[in-house]
Amino acid sequence: MADLKLTQLHKHYGAVHAVRGVDLEIPAGEFTVLVGSSGCGKSTLLRTIAGLEQADQGSIEIAGQVVNDMPPRDRDIAMVFQNYALYPYMKVYDNIAFGLRVRKMPEADIAQKVKSAADMLAIGHLLDRYPRQMSGGQLQRVAIGRAIVRNARLYLFDEPLSNLDAQLRDEMRSEIKRLHQELGKTFIYVTHDQIEAMTLADRIVLLREGQIEQAGAPLDMFERPATQYVAGFLGSPPMNFVPARLVAQGGGYAVRLEDGAELALPPARVAKLAARADQPVTLGLRPEHMSRAEAALRPGLARYSSRVDLVQPTGSRTYATFKLGGVEAIAELDAHDVQRANERIELALDMNRAVLIEPSTHRVL
Amino acid sequence: MSKGTLFWRYVAAIAITVFFLFPIYWLFIISFKTPDEIFSFPPKWYPGQIHFGNYAVLFKDGDAVTVWNSLVVAGVSTVLAMILGTLCAYSIARFRTGGENLANWIISQRMVPPIAIVFPVFLMYVKLGLVDTYIGIILLYTAFNLPYVIWMMRGYIQDVPKALEESALVDGCTRWQVIWKVVFPMCRAGLLATAIFTFIFAWNEFLFALVLTRTEVTTYTVQVTHYFGGQSNFWAKISAMSVLGTLPVFIAVAFMQKYLVRGISLGAVKG
Amino acid sequence: MTVSSDALARPRAPVGERGFKYLLIAPSVFLLLAIGIFPLLYMLVVSFVGIDMMAEDWSFKGLANYKAAFADARLWQALGHTLIITAVALPLELLLGLAMAQLFLEKFPGRQIFVALLVLPTVVSPIVAGATWSLMFDNRYGPINQILGWIFGKEMPLLWTVDPTLVYPAIIVAEVWQWTPFMFLLLLAALSNVDKSQLEAASIDGAGYWMTFRKIVLPAIWPVMAIALLIRALDLFRIFDIIWALTKGGPGTMTETISVFTYVKGFTQFEISYAAAVALIIIVLLTVAVTWMLKKIEIAR
Repeated sequence: MADLKLTQLHKHYGAVHAVRGVDLEIPAGEFTVLVGSSGCGKSTLLRTIAGLEQADQGSIEIAGQVVNDMPPRDRDIAMVFQNYALYPYMKVYDNIAFGLRVRKMPEADIAQKVKSAADMLAIGHLLDRYPRQMSGGQLQRVAIGRAIVRNARLYLFDEPLSNLDAQLRDEMRSEIKRLHQELGKTFIYVTHDQIEAMTLADRIVLLREGQIEQAGAPLDMFERPATQYVAGFLGSPPMNFVPARLVAQGGGYAVRLEDGAELALPPARVAKLAARADQPVTLGLRPEHMSRAEAALRPGLARYSSRVDLVQPTGSRTYATFKLGGVEAIAELDAHDVQRANERIELALDMNRAVLIEPSTHRVL
Repeated sequence: MSKGTLFWRYVAAIAITVFFLFPIYWLFIISFKTPDEIFSFPPKWYPGQIHFGNYAVLFKDGDAVTVWNSLVVAGVSTVLAMILGTLCAYSIARFRTGGENLANWIISQRMVPPIAIVFPVFLMYVKLGLVDTYIGIILLYTAFNLPYVIWMMRGYIQDVPKALEESALVDGCTRWQVIWKVVFPMCRAGLLATAIFTFIFAWNEFLFALVLTRTEVTTYTVQVTHYFGGQSNFWAKISAMSVLGTLPVFIAVAFMQKYLVRGISLGAVKG
Repeated sequence: MTVSSDALARPRAPVGERGFKYLLIAPSVFLLLAIGIFPLLYMLVVSFVGIDMMAEDWSFKGLANYKAAFADARLWQALGHTLIITAVALPLELLLGLAMAQLFLEKFPGRQIFVALLVLPTVVSPIVAGATWSLMFDNRYGPINQILGWIFGKEMPLLWTVDPTLVYPAIIVAEVWQWTPFMFLLLLAALSNVDKSQLEAASIDGAGYWMTFRKIVLPAIWPVMAIALLIRALDLFRIFDIIWALTKGGPGTMTETISVFTYVKGFTQFEISYAAAVALIIIVLLTVAVTWMLKKIEIAR
């Protein structure tokens, strides 16, 4: 049975239609990440699930029960907030115990629960402190601790890591993933960070303008995006998009860029494209699917020569910015593949993994 | 700052402070002077000895009961205004109840001149038999201070991060529990500061008390004016009664320096 | 920190609490209506009849009381007195307060103590402040005349609360004494909040003191200054206590303000219906004035 089922959910904020007809089922034990850029409605969706906002239309079912008119306290949920939301006038212990005390659990049981949660999160030594005496990472651990003692059905996370610095964020990310594995509970996690989404999720739900753009397992979404938006959202640096035209070439097809270069498409892809010959397409190529061309190319790779405008080494890899068919593009190369700007470079573009997009609908072909 | 600038700054600061404190000093020392010293010419700038006779007279004649009346009236009306006003402020701060219109109407109630409030209230009280009763004056003070409490507490409650309350809601609290267990502890300082200011306003109030009290619930501010005579003023009593009324205010203010600016600027400046 | 547009949206009652928010405001709104509106309506009725000390005449008199009020020179004089006091005291308080705030803006040892002491006049009850100044101004036993005597080298038996040429200065001195610290405190807080980096940028750009003050400091403190001025203007418009303690509106009716006039009419001469009409006129006038001032402030922002 699904732990959470949303049916045609709508939510307005005044004139803003924040959630527009979301249908979603989340099975028990799944780690679902709601991701999207700022203003896409992901936080609103989470808050509506929590009961902090009232849905305008549609239904929310938790464990088979419609909860639209149920206050948050009766929904069997626990939530971790972006700014920790710890009570500054309570010690850590009391913060974690708060929800249990409100629910009138005996103090002895509370003590035991708090202790086991604190052990799990390695914050046992902090229980006597006040929030103001702690660092951001510690605060977020306490906030998570407060949620997990609750033994709720749904665990909701509202951008819990966005206030932490980069290193701490990576650390807490793996912590949360480990926690999910240990607890085996249903997690719903909101973030704008596609790396968090990719690394944490069993399933990603990508939202755009209040609607689900695509949902699926992280690698499926990454490799088989349904739309240009998804293709561009997942991956860093993002996928390059180049306007082009589909042309016949020899026995097969190629894409012709605006500078005249023709990139042959592998025969495996040709069958579906026959009807679109001579039509415009958008070519999508991920930076990591380009490399420095060798003398002989493997099948499916296309050669492209360009002048490098900008070189950004990151240590392990180097990003080279260049013009691809008149459009600025980024290639992720081996560290020493390119030395400096203005160098001419021969690139091998992996057309096996290129994405072709219908320019008017932005759907992937 | 150079030494010279600093010197002149102190000179200016001391001169200003003397100007603003001298009248208070004068009020206080008169209350400790003997009648002979009060009416000596030229005036004596400091009392020969501290003399408590003026205060003793106030207590002996029973005039000091007006300070007690002020305490009861200001105290009870403050408690009432705080309870009603804070709940109302919570609703306005969190749910925008009534929108801008309600908030504006409430603060505009604060701006009506007291004479225009007290006149109709007086007419009504005469009909209801509430003139010169505790209930009458307390109700009016409560209503008059409500807008202030609502306005100030709205600001303090808006400073409480919404997520704290939401977290408590998810953790199992009802709204009442949220108010009691989260909002009140978070606003402790604001509640105290607002209560003290509300108390001071009621404590210092004169016109309402002048109109609505006769003999039973006369407050200290009205009592002070009873000592003004046609030809001669009862200076000893004026000053002693004034000091009795002023000292508690000074003590209260000393404890809340931090919230003073926010309190008197209707929240326009957050200290 | 990222703030999603969701977080900025209008807050609403979560599920199951739609009645709750009205329950919370109900007692306050009820009390405000009971004390603020019903008496007002009652007063409106009273202003159309003819109740006075002689007779409780409930017959409808139409606009007679209003006509009488508009024809009453004493009322217009009272309005004039009120406006004069406001027009003199308000700028004085503002300028003195601003100068003091500048003086105490920079930190120096003991500054906190000075500020704490300077607050005191403002928290004294206005009636006590008035009483205090009537002690100060006493022609024979008060220190003011004594000090003036030292300065001029002869006895100065000035009748501050009686002499027509001196009553206004006396009232304004008392008023300015009590409320300049209020201006001072608010402006000091506002000045302390001015962005230092903007001042530094201006001085690097070569702006002089006045230029910096006009272009950077003034706009930055204006919101607070406007509210301080509004609060004080409203207070001055209803000034009663200090005048009651110093002159009771005298000599004659020379220092009678709107509030004093209404009080005298209603509570010492018991021209109830007439005073009701006057009180309503004041409310209307003030509502217009406040709305106008609030608009001004809005526009200035």
